[in-house]
Amino acid sequence: MSAGLAVDLETRLAVSDFLIAEAAALDERRFEDWLELFTDDVEYVAPVRVTRRSGTPDIVDEITYFDENKQSLGLRVKRLLTDVAWAEDPPSMTRRFVSNIRITPGDGELAVKNNLLLFRSRGDSGAYDLIVGEREDALREEGGELRICRRRAVIDQAALGTKNLGVFL
Amino acid sequence: MYMPNADIRARLEATVDPEAGAIPMFVYTDPDVYRLELENLFGRTWLYVAHESELPEAGSFVVRRMGEQSVIVGRGDDETVRVFLNSCRHRGMRLANEDFGCTEMWRCPYHGFTYGSKGEFLGTLIGAPYERQAYPEGLDKEALHLIEARVESYRGMIFATWNLDGPSLDEFLGNVRWYLDIVLGRAEMEVVGVPQKWIVPSGWKLPSENFCADAYHTATAHSFLARLKLVEGVDFGRDGYHVDPGGGHGLGIGVHDPAEGSYFPDSLEAEYARNLDAEQLGLLHRVKNFHGNVFPNLSFLIPNFIPMGDQLVSGMMLRLWQPIGPDKLEVWSWHLVERDAPAQWKRLARKMYVQTFGVSGMFDQDDTENWEAQTLNSNTALTRPDEVMLHYAMGISAAPLDDFPGPGAAYDGKFSEAAGRTFYRTWLDALLARGAA
Repeated sequence: MSAGLAVDLETRLAVSDFLIAEAAALDERRFEDWLELFTDDVEYVAPVRVTRRSGTPDIVDEITYFDENKQSLGLRVKRLLTDVAWAEDPPSMTRRFVSNIRITPGDGELAVKNNLLLFRSRGDSGAYDLIVGEREDALREEGGELRICRRRAVIDQAALGTKNLGVFL
Repeated sequence: MYMPNADIRARLEATVDPEAGAIPMFVYTDPDVYRLELENLFGRTWLYVAHESELPEAGSFVVRRMGEQSVIVGRGDDETVRVFLNSCRHRGMRLANEDFGCTEMWRCPYHGFTYGSKGEFLGTLIGAPYERQAYPEGLDKEALHLIEARVESYRGMIFATWNLDGPSLDEFLGNVRWYLDIVLGRAEMEVVGVPQKWIVPSGWKLPSENFCADAYHTATAHSFLARLKLVEGVDFGRDGYHVDPGGGHGLGIGVHDPAEGSYFPDSLEAEYARNLDAEQLGLLHRVKNFHGNVFPNLSFLIPNFIPMGDQLVSGMMLRLWQPIGPDKLEVWSWHLVERDAPAQWKRLARKMYVQTFGVSGMFDQDDTENWEAQTLNSNTALTRPDEVMLHYAMGISAAPLDDFPGPGAAYDGKFSEAAGRTFYRTWLDALLARGAA
């Protein structure tokens, strides 16, 4: 590890490349490839955000927008691959921007916080939604490849301004 | 025949014909209709505002809406639940700007006017800063009391209305109470966390009528279920009963073979038996899914039980289709569960709710798709020279069952729009201010 850096450059680049490749898999609708990027014991959640007075927690984990494991993510992917997944057929045009990556090494895992800016447009009205938030990921190496073993995506809206979360965070 | 909106009442009267199964498309989103809805419907009828489990202690409050108006639903220091317009009597500023909390008093952030938990203006010094200097002639405490709605509750569901001398909540709910007993009164229920909220570009009536009287869409809109072999054929949408309890409410009950036994947790059986009569309990034991709408915009749903591991699970919910414009609504979706359910059941029920319903739910996604496109078409129907009439005649000549245990008109099989026709009749009468809403 280089002096002054908590995480070496090689690790930083590997994590950054991994998250960028993950975003590309989703934007290119390669959902089965995307599913491979998660460990079999993955927990994938998105807590609900609320409007509170300053000094009180504004994240509620007791109920979530997503509450998934590998199997349920797989079911969602299978559904998207049918010809009756109406909410995403025709599909949204999406572009994911992943930035502000902060890595903390842990016990066999890397804690990786990163910001997500998800642009989504659908149909011909010219309108679009922005879904913005922070992802708290945990990455682990399996068979020499980085894999996501936990994701907690915290969206920066108390009432979501998109008609459904037919897209992954 | 084209009728301009100059006389919106005449246009409604001439075109809306629920008993014939004929509803003109423009009513989904027409701004003049919406204006009438806010005044004559949301301004007059009983509206659901909260579940009692959301107000656990004296001082607890949640901020909700009645129509488009922000209200505070608070448990006072005397434990009574009251509903106030979230508006200071001085300049109309909002008193509560958070989703929920616990407080002894509401202090307006603009000029400091302060109100107790019973809505009372607190008077000199506490009520308004520098009151003696600013108002040497004194302030009329009574006149500054918060504007208060009438509140009643049923089986833990708190409702409010601005109609202070209209029908009681019991009269308003009528026959639907027997069914709400099964859905929400079978055990002590609790809200899990907070509601999910999201904005859908749809008129508010489209989802309301969908939960009220549309079991038919499931076979097409949600056909992924059958495609992925989570259910067999269309049985999950058809087998059971459609019920028109009257009053604009409506529901559908999907049932399974009684030989399969109850899908609900065994450990809660004694509590169910305490809270339900024998007929209600018998029906509960056969429930595979249970959907409905309490007029005008409160929906409930016990979704289809789906296998999760080796257990059949369902995650129930309450829904408000909160209007925020003629063609836009905010969905509020609460997950509820039996307070004394086994921990494992609670965990699985919540997972099932989130995965199948709610903003990411595999069912909800498809529904929002339909409501948005209907809304877009309704908006363009406003300007057509002819009236675009839509078809609401499913089951129009069917006779209700004469041996169904529950009250109201119950039909064999869920494929009927009877309650949808009554929904629009009740809605029309309210808009034209005919009869009680």
